[in-house]
Amino acid sequence: MGEWIRFGLSALLMTGGLFFVISSVVGVWRFRYVMNRMHAAALGDTMGLGLILLGLMLRAGLDPLALKLALIGLLWWISGPIASHLTARLEIATNPEREKEMRVALDEETRREVDL
Amino acid sequence: MTERTDNRPGGRRKRAFTAAENPLDDRILEELQDPPARAGRERTEEEAARMEAAELKRLEEIARHERGLLDQAHSWSHTHGERIARTVYAALAAVICLAVIAVLLTTVSNLPPFGHGENPIHNEVSARYIEEGPAETGALNFVAGMILDYRAFDTLGESHVLFIACCAVLILLRLPETGDLRERMMAEANDRVWEPKHDIILQRGAGFLVPVILLFGVYVLLNGHLGPGGGFSGGAAIGAGLILYLNAYGFAAAERFLTIRSFRIATACALGFYALSKAWSFFCGANGLESGIGPGTAGALFSAGLIPFLNVAVGLVVAFVLYAFYTLFRKGDL
Repeated sequence: MGEWIRFGLSALLMTGGLFFVISSVVGVWRFRYVMNRMHAAALGDTMGLGLILLGLMLRAGLDPLALKLALIGLLWWISGPIASHLTARLEIATNPEREKEMRVALDEETRREVDL
Repeated sequence: MTERTDNRPGGRRKRAFTAAENPLDDRILEELQDPPARAGRERTEEEAARMEAAELKRLEEIARHERGLLDQAHSWSHTHGERIARTVYAALAAVICLAVIAVLLTTVSNLPPFGHGENPIHNEVSARYIEEGPAETGALNFVAGMILDYRAFDTLGESHVLFIACCAVLILLRLPETGDLRERMMAEANDRVWEPKHDIILQRGAGFLVPVILLFGVYVLLNGHLGPGGGFSGGAAIGAGLILYLNAYGFAAAERFLTIRSFRIATACALGFYALSKAWSFFCGANGLESGIGPGTAGALFSAGLIPFLNVAVGLVVAFVLYAFYTLFRKGDL
């Protein structure tokens, strides 16, 4: 019974992680500007990877394997934000018209933001 | 409000028409509100109708002319060559696709069943590798025993492929050493004009990550004969760590311990050691001589004869070549 509960929990976690990863893939595919894409990609990097690793650690149980999985997560969470930071800095340095990409306008009729 | 709407290049919102923009609406509105006003405008309306008819006629003529041009362009005599070519192309594409699909499907359906004991790959060679491998080579990792002992010259060739590729890039991309000093300084300064230099976040992250990556690479390298890993994967990890260090701290810091001179010495020593030691081992083995290299106790760190040393040699070549590729493509020097 306990084994089944653990299996169900880990399956739930991994499915949630997959949902986040798929959302981030769709986001990277749909967005056109690098900053928007980074935002979408970070979703899969943090929540998706974290949930999948948590599910795998539940499967592994009290094992050195669980520690290794945690290490993978730690290394990823250190390197991912640094890479995003560098990408953003490069974008800031190289794109003189970045203000244009960030501008949004309010539609008078629907009171919704529309991209220019 | 109208100004902003007009300035938008691809605005999706509908524009609200005002009276000035649409005179027809204006007239209808006027008639609805004030019927007698129509009489005074009878004449001008007649003129307008005439002008409208003339305009319509002109537009019709233009349209007829354009239709004629299109008909000419699309007529059978003009396009039948293209059409025939297109048909032949489509037919050929379909035939080739179907042929390839048929070949692949027959091949796949005639493959031996997966995991079956009597498949042709389960011959005496693989049986020998699995049964006698650990005893003969001393390596618990069959793959390491295979690629660095039984087929060691194959791996030597692979390392040389990497090394020669790196030499070719070096010849093509390296800046001349005796060139104009100003040119070299310009190239140096031009490197990463836009890239963030001395980024504190990257440096802090690299300060934590580089030792871990290098240590892991060394572990994979030295553990190649005991478990999964070996020269290629460990060398790739070490090369990645070196590249990260270079990115974080710059060329001046990396050149304190890694220059073209150390690259030359390390790769030459690694490849030379590999070739000589393995030649000695093969020569002795083929002639029944005592080579002085035994398998040792399987499972110990220093066991499996030459395999750990060959792993280190291959790892050195891979790591240096990866690093050299990166620096050569980035600044044309090591």
